[in-house]
Amino acid sequence: MRWRHPVLIGLMWALTSVAAAAEEAGVSIRDAWVREAPPGATMMAGYMVLKNNTPRSQVLVAARSSGFGTVMIHRTVVKGGLTGMEHAPKIELLPNASLLFEPGGYHLMLLNPKRALHAGDRVDINLEFLGGLVIPVAYEVRK
Amino acid sequence: MMTAVVLAAMLGGVWLAAKYRENGSQAILLPDQVMTLFPAPKPLEAFAFTDHENRVFDLSRLKGKWSFLFFGYTHCPDVCPTTLAVLARTHEEIVKSTVGAKDVQFVFISVDPNRDTAGKLEQYVTYFDPTFLGVTGNNAQLGNLAGQLGAAYEVAITPGTDNYPVYHTAAVFLVDPRARYHAVFAPPLDAEAISKRFKVLRELEGPEAT
Repeated sequence: MRWRHPVLIGLMWALTSVAAAAEEAGVSIRDAWVREAPPGATMMAGYMVLKNNTPRSQVLVAARSSGFGTVMIHRTVVKGGLTGMEHAPKIELLPNASLLFEPGGYHLMLLNPKRALHAGDRVDINLEFLGGLVIPVAYEVRK
Repeated sequence: MMTAVVLAAMLGGVWLAAKYRENGSQAILLPDQVMTLFPAPKPLEAFAFTDHENRVFDLSRLKGKWSFLFFGYTHCPDVCPTTLAVLARTHEEIVKSTVGAKDVQFVFISVDPNRDTAGKLEQYVTYFDPTFLGVTGNNAQLGNLAGQLGAAYEVAITPGTDNYPVYHTAAVFLVDPRARYHAVFAPPLDAEAISKRFKVLRELEGPEAT
């Protein structure tokens, strides 16, 4: 069944192109950054501003990166005076609305970086939306 | 001549502290959403931690200095690094003042002694500022000081994983040089806002505080 591979690859390429086109019009991301962490840190956090450019809701369901052991969408919450984090399995971006991932709020929890990251480095993370849209985002490591 | 130092009158309503100094100047700190100041600071009672250099960190280490205390843990991706970065900038701002920062210390209190060894604490806190101290202790001692400051924490240690949730008070506590709980800064924390208020408070308290 070797002959099928080029077809699959072609199909995947076509789908990726569709996703890339959707990204332009669909959801845009700016100010994407990761806070530089102390040496030996196993936890880092990523921040950004998401903007839904469509008249429909867009739902962020996952974030993935080969640069970390695990990437999870988290939110810092205050409950009964205690601050902690909770996993946000999906986040709805309302039509034409912006959503902030910022310190003390939503963030990408980046667990077990595969290499030491320093201010100025770049980290690639894919954001996955319901319906199959995948947006690759470059995050700048900042102090 | 009477001079008044008035801070952030916008949000407050009640005068929390007014103090008259011998030289005749009158300085007033108004309450706001950044700092809550206690008119009758509460003397702290004995506690015993260990610092990141394995020295005893007890009540005596709070005497003679203004201490900014923050409870957290090093496996904390968002709130703790954000707060420590703010405190590092707060320190820089205080260093720039005429009095300087020799009478000030910043102490990160880990509520997660299970994972936060002295070595890890040292790596962590000194990254933000080489003068920062990292301390921790057993649960009884952590609970003791947290209780005295009205802080709280919960560590949900989960066997078999190094990734378990920790909940903690995210405020920054200010202890005066007589080891009295004097003020608290509530999040969201801002270095300029904190350092401005601290400098006025230190000026108001003068040498009496020590």
